[in-house]
Amino acid sequence: MDSVPSDSHGNLDEQISQLMQCKPLSEQEVRVLCEKAKEILMVESNVQPVKSPVTICGDIHGQFHDLAELFRIGGKCPDTNYLFMGDYVDRGYYSVETVTLLVALKVRYPQRITILRGNHESRQITQVYGFYDECLRKYGNANVWKIFTDLFDYFPLTALVESEIFCLHGGLSPSIETLDNIRNFDRVQEVPHEGPMCDLLWSDPDDRCGWGISPRGAGYTFGQDISEQFNHTNNLKLIARAHQLVMEGYNWGHDQKVVTIFSAPNYCYRCGNMASILEVDDCKGHTFIQFEPAPRRGEPDVTRRTPDYFL
Amino acid sequence: MDSSNLSSLPEDGAEGHTKQQEDQSVSAFASKPQRPPSQSSSEKYSPKDWSEYFDKEEDVKIPDSDNIFHVYMAGSEGPVVFCLHGGGYSGLSFALSASKIKEKARVVAMDLRGHGKSLTDNDLDLSVETMCNDVLAVIKELYGNSPPAIVLVGHSMGGSVAVHVAARKTVSNLAGLVVVDVVEGTAMASLIHMQKILSGRMQHFPSIEKAIEWSVRGGSLRNIDSARVSIPTTLKYDDSKKCYVYRTQLEDTEQYWKGWYEGLSDTFLSCPVPKLLLLAGTDRLDRSLTIGQMQGKFQMVLVRHTGHAIQEDVPDEFATLIINFISRNRIGPNGVEIPGLRKPAFSKP
Repeated sequence: MDSVPSDSHGNLDEQISQLMQCKPLSEQEVRVLCEKAKEILMVESNVQPVKSPVTICGDIHGQFHDLAELFRIGGKCPDTNYLFMGDYVDRGYYSVETVTLLVALKVRYPQRITILRGNHESRQITQVYGFYDECLRKYGNANVWKIFTDLFDYFPLTALVESEIFCLHGGLSPSIETLDNIRNFDRVQEVPHEGPMCDLLWSDPDDRCGWGISPRGAGYTFGQDISEQFNHTNNLKLIARAHQLVMEGYNWGHDQKVVTIFSAPNYCYRCGNMASILEVDDCKGHTFIQFEPAPRRGEPDVTRRTPDYFL
Repeated sequence: MDSSNLSSLPEDGAEGHTKQQEDQSVSAFASKPQRPPSQSSSEKYSPKDWSEYFDKEEDVKIPDSDNIFHVYMAGSEGPVVFCLHGGGYSGLSFALSASKIKEKARVVAMDLRGHGKSLTDNDLDLSVETMCNDVLAVIKELYGNSPPAIVLVGHSMGGSVAVHVAARKTVSNLAGLVVVDVVEGTAMASLIHMQKILSGRMQHFPSIEKAIEWSVRGGSLRNIDSARVSIPTTLKYDDSKKCYVYRTQLEDTEQYWKGWYEGLSDTFLSCPVPKLLLLAGTDRLDRSLTIGQMQGKFQMVLVRHTGHAIQEDVPDEFATLIINFISRNRIGPNGVEIPGLRKPAFSKP
């Protein structure tokens, strides 16, 4: 079942337990790991099929200790199957450890964990929001950043749980009517500024019907009419997505046609929100599990530079 | 001073230096070998005129008051980008970016009360309410009751004014709001240091060139060309001290500072127009804005390699950001122009 030869499992298992202690791998280890990951990810579909039971998770954003808490609450991988909907890096202090762990789990248990691409899994965004700087800080050069951002190009964009729950980071696109539309494009590229691939990673559901210009500056907003039509066209029950902070950790929208799941509690160490994950059981039943931030041990203080002006 | 052939070039308002330089051509040093021309300090920091960047300036007299507000204008078509400068700056803070934005939109940059060439009955009343009233009065004088589409752009203190103007919802054709490098959380935290920072500034300048030089060398502005056009109107000549001092007496307006920033984040989020927040360098979002941003309520751009005055330090990039914001939100001269928006882009066969 696992595509990695068993003699390398020992090494990989060691690396996973090292990562579980929030200790990063060496640059060379990251390089080898990502080469293996690329082999696995490149054969996955743009709409990667996933079986239940599976636990669906939203944004993590480098909050490693909260990811560890997520595994404590949701169950260890591979005892629990996981589907992560992107945004592993940026903002939090442990993007390197977070994304390395998830990729290592993907290589070790490729059938047990699915890792989709979020809008932050991009060269451009990570240079602004922290992952690039963190790599420089922890490795002294940008090689690890380059290795990971090259790998991000291979991450699948969406997943389909038991043919009825459509999972993706952002939302729908006016250029996409069917899942086959998504299956047919070449995803191996930097996230573009516009177009269907950009929309899948950037769009948000909205109370207003129809398509709207997204206030974010990328993607679209889509109304309940759009969600209903998309679900109907593609025989879907639900669209599960992440991308937006929701104070309770999850939020139903569009008359239960869309759900938002956010898995970074107290986002950015300042927002005071709950996190949640969605368990889909064998019988396709849904259970949300909410969780709070893991107890902090010596994490850097949230000190922002006080500007020397106010004018 | 260099004995280069630059001495014959005219220098705007650099009296005192020119005479000395004229004499140099006959000095013994004139026979020195030619060197690549290098600029003298006074030339490098010589003032530039607004007319290089704006098309016209105007004094807007507010009826039933003694208040006259000075505005600079550029461009002839598209929506109006109405620019509000930060405390101690002037409308010319937007000069360089205006010259680029005007290719796609009209730019109006006003001197706020107590700043630049505006004259009011009370230059020290920099309360956010008063400044909002001033802005609304100027918009009314310029456009009457049917203004074109307006995108309000405010830097720092002007950002607060822009947010409060937008939140009043009285500008009938407001189409967008751009706030430049001000966030309530960090601004409030920095207030206690402000008197010290103000008094720590260089206060007296023997010449305008020296003030321009100081602004660049001291790091408050990083773009010499912008400093050359924006700094002169932030100064006034003090006859008794025989030197240039700051036009705006910010240190006497402390009572209003808190009002500029208190509640700013939530007020910003409540404005019912497309919003863009430009921040210099690193993320300084407070809790409200972090939540708002992560819920997709506004667009944020972190502009790298710039100081606080983004519009001055990287004017081309700033202009591009404004133009893209306008075009992305389909803001035309009379408002949002979106054929078919809110209708599904595809229909079932």
